[in-house]
Amino acid sequence: MKATLAPSSLISLPRHKVSSLRSPSLLIQSQRPSSALMTTMKTASRGSVAVTAAATSSVEALREGIAEFYNETSGLWEEIWGDHMHHGFYDPDSSVQLSDSGHREAQIRMIEESLRFAGVTEEEKKIKRVVDVGCGIGGSSRYIASKFGAECVGITLSPVQAKRANDLAAAQSLSHKVSFQVADALEQPFEDGMFDLVWSMESGEHMPDKAKFVKELVRVAAPGGRIIIVTWCHRNLSQGEEALQPWEQNLLDRICKTFYLPAWCSTSDYVNLLQSLSLQDIKCADWSENVAPFWPAVIRTALTWKGLVSLLRSGMKSIKGALTMPLMIEGYKKGIIKFGIITCQKPL
Amino acid sequence: MRLIVHNMLTCNIKGVVNKFPLRIEAEKVIKKEVDFNPDFLRHMLAKIEWKALVDGARSMGYTELPDQLESEESYSFLKKFHHALLELHLEEGSLVCQETGRKFPVEKGVPNMLLHEDEV
Repeated sequence: MKATLAPSSLISLPRHKVSSLRSPSLLIQSQRPSSALMTTMKTASRGSVAVTAAATSSVEALREGIAEFYNETSGLWEEIWGDHMHHGFYDPDSSVQLSDSGHREAQIRMIEESLRFAGVTEEEKKIKRVVDVGCGIGGSSRYIASKFGAECVGITLSPVQAKRANDLAAAQSLSHKVSFQVADALEQPFEDGMFDLVWSMESGEHMPDKAKFVKELVRVAAPGGRIIIVTWCHRNLSQGEEALQPWEQNLLDRICKTFYLPAWCSTSDYVNLLQSLSLQDIKCADWSENVAPFWPAVIRTALTWKGLVSLLRSGMKSIKGALTMPLMIEGYKKGIIKFGIITCQKPL
Repeated sequence: MRLIVHNMLTCNIKGVVNKFPLRIEAEKVIKKEVDFNPDFLRHMLAKIEWKALVDGARSMGYTELPDQLESEESYSFLKKFHHALLELHLEEGSLVCQETGRKFPVEKGVPNMLLHEDEV
């Protein structure tokens, strides 16, 4: 009998270690459950089988949690926001209250700005094969495939999302160009060096092992190919700082629980990982100011009559997700949460 | 799942050498028409693993593809290639690792390539 863990058990991973990553080896070390964690798990799974079974199934429990979360909430999101499940990109300090279509355009702009930041737009013709890691219902894949005339495969943990993504591709006559599979970003079912563009738009937050995640992105990238990671991070730690402040960590923990985020790291952590893997032309930026209008807009749509009814119909995960959104705003306002982009090129 | 995708999927179980191609066990195959685009097909010919495509098509009940790639890209050849690559959909079935026999299920046209804990 497999001991399944509630997601809250995952939160007892030694978070201070995860937050203060300085080197890839530290990262890998921090992912192994400490003895304290093993005891916690034992208590949590009282009456069930071996502790070792509990420890090893935590990754599967996280994967299942993420899959179920998106199985439940994707339909609701799509109904209200459409097929892009990521932040919009806005001009900083834009005080104009945008319409729904304005936000949709901002989400498209996020894709375009990311491609431009990575230097991809000048090299369009070289982009033949793309992988969308954590593809949601395929908004980015379909957009990029149309833009570049490239083949795109997307992977997600959610069977509901993959099916919906395929259906949308068929409806847009893109079936020959894009397809979607259920797969783990940490174990991508592709040969080395397959993809000219490796795209991870707001999926890095879900990865329990950032080092492994980045290694896989690099593995499947073709020589000369580009990697684009757009993700929620926590602020960079200052010189001498080992970890976030307890109150900061507490805020992040509460968000983690609802959105099935196992661990936060900083933009610098990603840069260090890429450097250690000898990637070239590594660039990063803090786009927190450019996404500021997003969560307030999401909350506004949730509070409309249509939004509330849909939320209630969707279920507890959606409702909890909605209730957690103000924490995202708080996190951004207090400078704990950052919206980061990290891009690089694999050497030839 | 269409064969254009099958031609890219590998078994990612740790230690497996013979990762590609995955053998197809078809339970339900449907045909969906896709616009014929010769330029796209010619571009794909350079990238496709031909044997995997032929074997995959056979598993899905289509036996018209030649065993070897033809040097002449005739219209009728491209039409067969088009049909096999893009129009055959595996709705239900499995993708089987040739080395370990592990079956990756395909449900509602979506392959599930998730590994178990002990396969990583």
